Amino acid sequence: MTLTLWHTAADGLIPKPVKVAEAFFGLLHTRLLMDNILVSLVLTLKAMFYSIIITLFFSYFSVMPFFKSIAMFIIKCRYLTLTGLIFIFTLLTQDGSQLKLSLLVFGIVPFFVTSFLSVIVHINKQEYELCKTLGYNSWEALYEVIIVGKADQVFEILRQNFAIAWLMITLVEGLSMSEGGVGTLLIKYNKYNDLANVLALQLVIFMIGVGFDYLLGSLKKWLFPYTQLQIQ
Amino acid sequence: MTTFTKEEVVLQARNVNLSYEGKQILRDINFEIKNITRPGMHQGQVISLIGKSGIGKTQLFKLLSGLQSPTSGEILIHKNRKVEPGDMGVIFQNYYLFEWRSVYKSLLLAAKKNPLLKGKEKDAIKQHAADFNLSDHLQKYPQQLSGGQRQRVSIIQQLLKGSDFLLLDEPFSGLDVLVLDKVVDLLLKVSVSDDLKTLIIVSHDIATSVAISDTVFILGEEKGKPGSTIVKEIDLIERELAWERDIKSKKEFGETIGEIKGCL
Repeated sequence: MTLTLWHTAADGLIPKPVKVAEAFFGLLHTRLLMDNILVSLVLTLKAMFYSIIITLFFSYFSVMPFFKSIAMFIIKCRYLTLTGLIFIFTLLTQDGSQLKLSLLVFGIVPFFVTSFLSVIVHINKQEYELCKTLGYNSWEALYEVIIVGKADQVFEILRQNFAIAWLMITLVEGLSMSEGGVGTLLIKYNKYNDLANVLALQLVIFMIGVGFDYLLGSLKKWLFPYTQLQIQ
Repeated sequence: MTTFTKEEVVLQARNVNLSYEGKQILRDINFEIKNITRPGMHQGQVISLIGKSGIGKTQLFKLLSGLQSPTSGEILIHKNRKVEPGDMGVIFQNYYLFEWRSVYKSLLLAAKKNPLLKGKEKDAIKQHAADFNLSDHLQKYPQQLSGGQRQRVSIIQQLLKGSDFLLLDEPFSGLDVLVLDKVVDLLLKVSVSDDLKTLIIVSHDIATSVAISDTVFILGEEKGKPGSTIVKEIDLIERELAWERDIKSKKEFGETIGEIKGCL
């Protein structure tokens, strides 16, 4: 129905679905698309990796007052816009690759920390108490309750944040166009008003995002089977 | 009359007080539990701590478990050692378990905390699971267990950990009659598994708790004094109301229940 509506409503400026489909299959057969997807995916995964490390470090140590204040500050950084910080990041980094990575990490970490701290705050006190009654020391209790016990939730946060990272990749690649990437490609097509390719590329980005979401969802089911169980 | 002797003190509460923001919750809690021995059998101790709702049972439960410290006073176990978290096996009212661990893995973690089971953890789990009718459920996760099964897993977990003391918070709450009988049998079985095994049941199900206990402590209030304290101790062995199967049918049992209710 959407396709029919799109087909009938599209005028000379908005390409018809058939044209977008042609552009989509055309893109699939080019090396250009594959190369740029690869660049974007590697950058996203790298950014996710660093973001996870930074988030886990500050979140796990947020039980200590010093790290808690840092974690709280990171949370507030959600309200900082990336665009206004590009110049600062350009000065602080050595090349375009580092710039994009740091911008992406800076963009992801506040959201990641916010979600993860919310998990920690809502931990049932009885989980610690059970550990204590079983003779666990504080570190063992922390490991069991937060690291092992909340691993499924961390994975879910990771899944949600992959979506944020993938959304931001086009923005970041648009800010620094060295090394290419789907964001750069998108801007190039936009510049020449090649809307068929723009929409085709959007479709590719959307499909990759959905594909990764499904992959991470399946991985979660496999790694944490208890999350799928019905409570009796 | 059954032959028994009361020997060394295994647990003692000495001048325990607990206050929150200036409000006295527990006042001058003093009691002691002695090791009971009976010839030819392992006889542990079963203590009931009875009190009406909101009287401070849960707070006393937490103090006994070592999860909370009293404002003043001390709780001592074997040879005058202050109780610490981990000294008491605790069975929470909702039978809390690690939801992310299979039953087997939870039990293995508990067994590994018991130095006496070193190298024999798996055999011990197998044995306990068989004893408690849980052999077919070892690979399940807590979410897949019924309330009764969760309770049994909680008990085995603490038994494997090897505490002499088991604190049970409202173990009879919300159970139907058939399951209730099974739980009572289970607790009696645990109580005779070792001489030093001491079960402390915090409950407001007076009849069921008293029926399996040898001593009852009543937590109540005294006129004109703030906070709750132990207002009465009843030695059920002296009254010949302990260690008998059909104790509830005895006239003296009913009188004791009446007496307890009168103190609440």
